[in-house]
Amino acid sequence: MGTTITAKQNSKAASAAVSAVNDRFSDAGIVAEVIAHSAGKKYEFVRITCAPAQWRALAKWLASEAGVNYCGMITGTHFPEGPSERGWEVAVHLYRWPIANVAPHTCTIHVGEKLTGDDIPIEYEVFIPIEKTESPSVPSVQDIWGGADWNEKETWDLVGIDFEGHVNMHRVLNPHDSPDEFHPLQRQHKIRYHDFNEMYDDPQGFGRKPVDEGRVK
Amino acid sequence: MMAEMWITMGPQHPMTHGLWTLRVKVDGETVTDTEAELGYIHRGVEKICESRDFTQITPYCDRLCYVSAMTWAHSYIMAAEDLLEAEVPERAEYIRLMAAEIQRLASHLMWLGAFGPDIGNLTLMTWCLRDREMFLDLLQELGGSRMHYNFPRVGGVKRDIPIGWADRLRAKIKLFEHRIDEYEMLLDESTIWLVRLQGVGYATAEDQLNEGVTGPNIRAAGVNTDARWTNPYSVYDQVDWEPAVEKPTSVKGADCYDRYRVRMEEMRQSCRMILDAIEKIPGGSNTHYSPGDEMILTKAPTRAPEGATGTSTYECTRGVSQFYLQGGGDGRGKHPYRVSIRSPMFITIPYVAKTMIGYKVADIPAIMGSFDPCIGETDR
Repeated sequence: MGTTITAKQNSKAASAAVSAVNDRFSDAGIVAEVIAHSAGKKYEFVRITCAPAQWRALAKWLASEAGVNYCGMITGTHFPEGPSERGWEVAVHLYRWPIANVAPHTCTIHVGEKLTGDDIPIEYEVFIPIEKTESPSVPSVQDIWGGADWNEKETWDLVGIDFEGHVNMHRVLNPHDSPDEFHPLQRQHKIRYHDFNEMYDDPQGFGRKPVDEGRVK
Repeated sequence: MMAEMWITMGPQHPMTHGLWTLRVKVDGETVTDTEAELGYIHRGVEKICESRDFTQITPYCDRLCYVSAMTWAHSYIMAAEDLLEAEVPERAEYIRLMAAEIQRLASHLMWLGAFGPDIGNLTLMTWCLRDREMFLDLLQELGGSRMHYNFPRVGGVKRDIPIGWADRLRAKIKLFEHRIDEYEMLLDESTIWLVRLQGVGYATAEDQLNEGVTGPNIRAAGVNTDARWTNPYSVYDQVDWEPAVEKPTSVKGADCYDRYRVRMEEMRQSCRMILDAIEKIPGGSNTHYSPGDEMILTKAPTRAPEGATGTSTYECTRGVSQFYLQGGGDGRGKHPYRVSIRSPMFITIPYVAKTMIGYKVADIPAIMGSFDPCIGETDR
């Protein structure tokens, strides 16, 4: 049988991780909780909600004390119709995985069921809500996890959330000569066929114009 | 000392395996600086998905990477199931596991087939494409199409395995297990292959992890990390397998040869997994349930409320892919509000560009090819 992390190990590690965050950061208004996935094996992960001002301190602590060694994904979202304290949101997905360098001609074979303590893999999801503003910004964690580098570039490029302190920010997916304020995943930009059913009325698209025609793109 | 100069490799270049540009600064034959430029085939999949419902998104995810469409579609479906709180019948989980592992074989064969000519071994291309067809045929029987299968559904799979599929699968996998040995006889005895791969493109495990590189590339550096057991999903805990891992020969980590070795071993593990899964599949391997039967598909909600989120962490063929979905989009939650895709190669390609510094220009195709680049999923 394949090696695997058991639900018991996962649950123990998740609650230990949550209490560690809450012990350290509850004064700063950072909230951590255990959430279970509803797909796959329904395993638990740690969800942290944190203000932009505290994100860097939290990230440094996670990397140095909590053993979070992998930054998977950074997602920016635009909520133009949401409450004023959440006009934008950055979601960061982080992992703690038991990975260390090996000596030449050796390898590390972890057996999932036998891992204990900080070696148990655990998933973190950090939500950073940003209040409604024309120029959303959060501190960069590029120097803490190298994996955040291109994720932050992409988030700025597509969503327009700026990462303070990010070195060498540039367009990665859009053309380099795109207009300065153009970030296509902001909600004011609509694709030509916003409603799927419209496609049937005019399959060639001759009669259609983009909803945002005439605006700066 | 010669004057340093910038050379632009790509967007059309045999080394790139797709459309992107690697700018290299060279001092004579030595690479002193690099810069990766991506985005040539950015299609705005994340934006398009915001105006599609959860079933309509699957074909777009197939097309993220034509070499491993099945794993990408499954990665998306797992996030959608997390968001919509759908249950999956166990038979469907077994079918999904086999489909994903067959796709892994096909994808690694495509990688090996493309990597061979990079190194100067054209035979490999013809051999690998020959064997890949066997697996594409099997997947075609499931999905109806040769490459873009649109196979998984929220809550199960589109179609059950056809009658006789299990026999064809067993025969092909058993044949292919011998073929892997043949490949190794061809390659491991080849001086050109060894000289061009050994001792170039070193990358350590910790360094790769910090930079966001995962999958076979990090397992080549001596750690058996694998999202199939660290973040368990599907029925990988019930079938017989172990993550492929390679012992690197240097303190500098894995070289190109280690990354080739680990993928060969991974193909063996996939074969082992498939052969075991077809024996254990609930409901029997030679029965066919009609589409929509509760053995292969359960009814799932089609709308997700505002504030609901779904994530997936999936071991794709090139590393860990992730999806993050937010509910509460148009049509009273029928569409997702936001779809975010994390492609392993989007992070890996800039990292590989950095690791080339210090090697010779002639090593660039070997180093780049050994990380298995795919531009479809990179640019999305």
